[in-house]
Amino acid sequence: MMFTRFTDRTRRSVEAALDEARMLGHDSLGDEDLLLGILSADEGIAAGALSSLGVTLEGAREASEEMLSGALASIGISLEEVRREAGEAFDMRIPDNRRIPLSPAAKEALVEARKRMRRMGDNYLGTEHVLLGILDNEDGAAVRMLARMGVAADTLEGRLFEFRDRATG
Amino acid sequence: MDEKTRTRVGGPEDPREGLEAVVALRRTLEALEAAQVENAFLAGWSWARIADVLGVSRQAVHKKHAARIKARHPGRPPGRGGA
Repeated sequence: MMFTRFTDRTRRSVEAALDEARMLGHDSLGDEDLLLGILSADEGIAAGALSSLGVTLEGAREASEEMLSGALASIGISLEEVRREAGEAFDMRIPDNRRIPLSPAAKEALVEARKRMRRMGDNYLGTEHVLLGILDNEDGAAVRMLARMGVAADTLEGRLFEFRDRATG
Repeated sequence: MDEKTRTRVGGPEDPREGLEAVVALRRTLEALEAAQVENAFLAGWSWARIADVLGVSRQAVHKKHAARIKARHPGRPPGRGGA
């Protein structure tokens, strides 16, 4: 099962990822949303490693929005103008009555997270495993979002293991 | 392919950029539709009239938008204008 052995924190981070996805208008929960969820849970080794490199929830949300407006700009559409034209009613948020499925990239990240967990000899699936699973997809939105924030996947992975070693003594 | 063709608007040279633009546009379209239906509703338009302009059934518009708009604007009666 996809969610077995999840720690409470991991579970909370996935729930937070859903909230982030909904707020940002993501009609499926992507690997970048899993990253936002980890930042939102704001505790644990993964969040610690991220914040030590200056990655904040606010910054990640902004990077995600910039990626959206950048993609629109590439085909000559200004999100700002769309927003202005539509007025106050314009909101990217996905309505509450619409379900948000996990994207294939997010599923893959969770599958990789489980492999990481086994390889590391752990019997719980923590947010650190999810983060490693996310980083395994070099082409993913999360890794590109981190790059926008000036953080390379390798650097983050190294930092994560430093934090883990420190935590286990 | 010469430089001009490759960099023209709507034809990014990186296929990923083109595909991501589609996703961004789809998400923006959804938000824009929701906003414009809400604007029409608040302007007093009936569901039937809104549906007509969108080229879909009244039921489809109602199912997709009514709950959200009513939650955002409690107490507003349904639009009647031009029904």
